[in-house]
Amino acid sequence: MKIGVVVGVVWASKKVTELDGIRMCIVQPVSCEKKTVGNTLVVSDPLGLSASGDTIVYVTSADAAEAFENGYAPVDASIVQLVHSII
Amino acid sequence: MFLAKVKKKIISVQRHPAYQGKTVYVVQPVEPNGQEVGHEWVAMDYVGAGVGDIVVCGGAPGVSKSLFNLELAPIRTLIMAIVDKINYNDNS
Repeated sequence: MKIGVVVGVVWASKKVTELDGIRMCIVQPVSCEKKTVGNTLVVSDPLGLSASGDTIVYVTSADAAEAFENGYAPVDASIVQLVHSII
Repeated sequence: MFLAKVKKKIISVQRHPAYQGKTVYVVQPVEPNGQEVGHEWVAMDYVGAGVGDIVVCGGAPGVSKSLFNLELAPIRTLIMAIVDKINYNDNS
């Protein structure tokens, strides 16, 4: 899992049926001091947690599909937590 | 698995149901001599670690599912051990 900031949203009218109604966000990975780390990536948001500018925690690899209701989706990154604060 | 230092704790209100009642920390991977390497990870606590501890982190797809007895567990990195002591010879 990693921390990131939502910097944008991807719109797609035609997509895999598992992703119907699921938002896809552009996320910039950051350190806990909000310093940019690496390149942006597209992350699915199955719980509808985030808006642009929010700090989030996203999970990568095969476990990302587990964030979906039925546990199956062709994704490799999902938002699982909306960060309130880091202490 | 990798050695890491627990840096900070993440507080959140909205999260996946699998994260309910569990503590999530920011960990910084370190060398055995304490030098920081690479970028930070977010890891879920399984052993009761605290901020400042040197810990062993790791995980693989599906591990947290059986560990926490959950049907769906989008959890990748776990804190699996708190390090007491490291014997390390730096011969290089």
